[in-house]
Amino acid sequence: MTATTAPEAALGVLPRADGSAKYSHAGYTVTASVSGPIEAQRRDEHAYEAHVDVVVRPAAGVGGTRERHLESILQSTLAQIILIKNFPRSLIQIVLQVEDSPENDYVNTKLVQASLNFAIMPALIQTAVLALLSAGVPMRATLTATAVAMAHRDGAKKTIVDPTPRDIETAQSVHVFAFTSRDELLLAESEGDFTVEEWDDVCETAKKVCCHSAPAKEGMAMVLDDEDVGGPDMRQFLRSTMKSKVDADLHWK
Amino acid sequence: MATDLPLVLPGETIDATLIPSSQKHPLRLGPGLRHIPPSDIVPTAAGQLITNPVKNSMWIEYNSNRYTPSQGDIILAQILRSTGDFYLCTLSPHTAPATLPHLAFESATKKTRPVLQPGQLVASTGKADGLGPIGVSPGSPGGCVFDVSLGFARRLLMARSREEGGVGVLEMLGGEEGGGLAFETAVGRNGRVWVGSESARTVVVVGRALQETDRGGLGMEGQRRLVKKLVRDMR
Amino acid sequence: MPREAEPSLNEKQFVTQALQENLRLDGREFDQYRPIELNFGDQHGVADVTLGKTRVLAKATAEVTVPYTDRPLDGIFTIATELSPMTSPSFEVNRPTETEVLLSRLLEKTVRRSGALDTESLCLVAGEKCWSVRVDVHVLAHDGNLMDAACLAVVAALRHFRKPDTSMAGGVLTVYTPAEREPVPLSWLHSPFCVTWSFFGEDEGEMAVLDATWLEEQVRVGSCTVSLNKHGEICQIAKLGGTPVDAVALLQCTSVALTKVKEFSDLVDRRLAEDLKRRDKGGFMAELRAENDR
Repeated sequence: MTATTAPEAALGVLPRADGSAKYSHAGYTVTASVSGPIEAQRRDEHAYEAHVDVVVRPAAGVGGTRERHLESILQSTLAQIILIKNFPRSLIQIVLQVEDSPENDYVNTKLVQASLNFAIMPALIQTAVLALLSAGVPMRATLTATAVAMAHRDGAKKTIVDPTPRDIETAQSVHVFAFTSRDELLLAESEGDFTVEEWDDVCETAKKVCCHSAPAKEGMAMVLDDEDVGGPDMRQFLRSTMKSKVDADLHWK
Repeated sequence: MATDLPLVLPGETIDATLIPSSQKHPLRLGPGLRHIPPSDIVPTAAGQLITNPVKNSMWIEYNSNRYTPSQGDIILAQILRSTGDFYLCTLSPHTAPATLPHLAFESATKKTRPVLQPGQLVASTGKADGLGPIGVSPGSPGGCVFDVSLGFARRLLMARSREEGGVGVLEMLGGEEGGGLAFETAVGRNGRVWVGSESARTVVVVGRALQETDRGGLGMEGQRRLVKKLVRDMR
Repeated sequence: MPREAEPSLNEKQFVTQALQENLRLDGREFDQYRPIELNFGDQHGVADVTLGKTRVLAKATAEVTVPYTDRPLDGIFTIATELSPMTSPSFEVNRPTETEVLLSRLLEKTVRRSGALDTESLCLVAGEKCWSVRVDVHVLAHDGNLMDAACLAVVAALRHFRKPDTSMAGGVLTVYTPAEREPVPLSWLHSPFCVTWSFFGEDEGEMAVLDATWLEEQVRVGSCTVSLNKHGEICQIAKLGGTPVDAVALLQCTSVALTKVKEFSDLVDRRLAEDLKRRDKGGFMAELRAENDR
């Protein structure tokens, strides 16, 4: 099946969790639940701030070191934007369940040991942020994230936003970026061979996708941006998703 | 009204013209906002920015499920266990227990303090004042407690919940549409509503009406239809 | 991890009191299920079951591996159930609870031991190569009756699943990638489903209720899970502790269970047919399948 290009999200999909979101983009589908602030276990308890616990669960197979690595990156990223000092000695738990990831039709994968792809990180971050917003957990800022691959095609360098597994396989390097709503770079993870100039290029492209200043007219903006940078306007997407949630919650006003 | 006031996301800058500037009172910030000295006011939750120029206050209106304790809130707590001088009670699932002194109930002394069993419900204010146990007096029915979202509980607690909060189910159930059902309720800000009645059937109908109004986001007309349907099914 | 919240005394008393008056808190009949939804993902082998507020996702996968030495002619089939903190914060990663153990045991007995999947068909080269089929069950939300929802999800996922096509020529085994050859379905023998009864009241299964919610499960005095297929062949009956139940009442339960299982079976068939239609835009799939048959 063809991967969806436009990001899609639904909030509050799990009625028993405090906050939840289902997000799909570029073939990845992730569901997240947020519980908190709740009682922390003694070993996770911090005297002055909340403990942020991130659990990443692959769709098939048991999680391994790759998942633990992703969890630790996400944990430190999300702890930056959640106002953890507001809830000392408590726990904010974020569980990310991968439902679907794009398959490479040209390779048969080994599956018992799940190996989550590096490029799934933007989807994980975006789902976590949406779930946190849906739970109403106090936050310093929102995040938008994207993955960009740098490939050499026919002697020319090419940046690919939201690369497919096939793109990643043939790419020189893959980069994941997350920017806060104040245009600050919060996360930059890279894999592969690249030069400093290349990284600057890629960073610039990612910034365009993540931080495009949203014009007032919604529908128009989406169309224009697609032509501009070859990726969706993430910030506008976040805003319109939240707008529909808040409108539904406050219909009685 | 819903479209007039702006949607804000965490970390966005609030338009300075929207911040009320009355000289009489100091500016009061409600839920969902934080003050970064010297003069920045930043939202911390996604919701609608509400301002009240008369009281010189502003807050973010949003709905959520997890109750964060705050002073003066009326809540329905559940007794976990009793220690020497305190009851330990839960306000919401999976959170650390809150303490409620045995002597916090009105005119309670060492001899007259209420004896509560684990699992019993008690109404309380956020200042650890016990208002009284719920649904335990010998003659009255035990009733049942239903979980609703925090926003819905706030709407039920509004002084004029029909006009301001847009909740009319309870009035309808007790009035013409519901055929005058007899029941009593107690609403806690922690998202729990206790419903008591002589008839178990009434409790079920009231509980379902509340939960479905909350979950379905029903307007006045929707609530009227729901009440009529539930009362019809009941017979 | 924080302990699971207990229902209040009022709730516990009221649930039983209401049942005595023939009432359930959500207004259902005693033998009525909550609305069931079954959806398939974009990939083959992903089934998402929603039963009221309970939600279970099952994903089937396959890979080539070496068969067990004591069963050289059989493939490997495993069902993995792990309850994550998403189900409830009281579940901890890598620390199985009783709920989790019971769930995985029952799924094992219902689906694996009943021979729903023909494991011999998974064998590629006797004693050397075979398919290992694995189903991962993810419980996204738990509002009671995990058993029935999980079983439905597992069966639906396996029937929806397609494994890569293989061929044997001159002692060389070739596994084709999806780009080379359209993957093929598993060899499926019968579809068992679980139906769980919950018992209430002092007297030997005085009141029996289907599809209990989480609150009802906390209050019940016993439960019984019957697994059977639409032909009425019973795979297993599990009655783990609780108050004793009259044998006649239990027989009554199994006959009602059969009508429910027929409904489940129809639901899975219907949704699979709809999904096939959705994928088969412009008759392209039929063309591919014809090639594979030759």
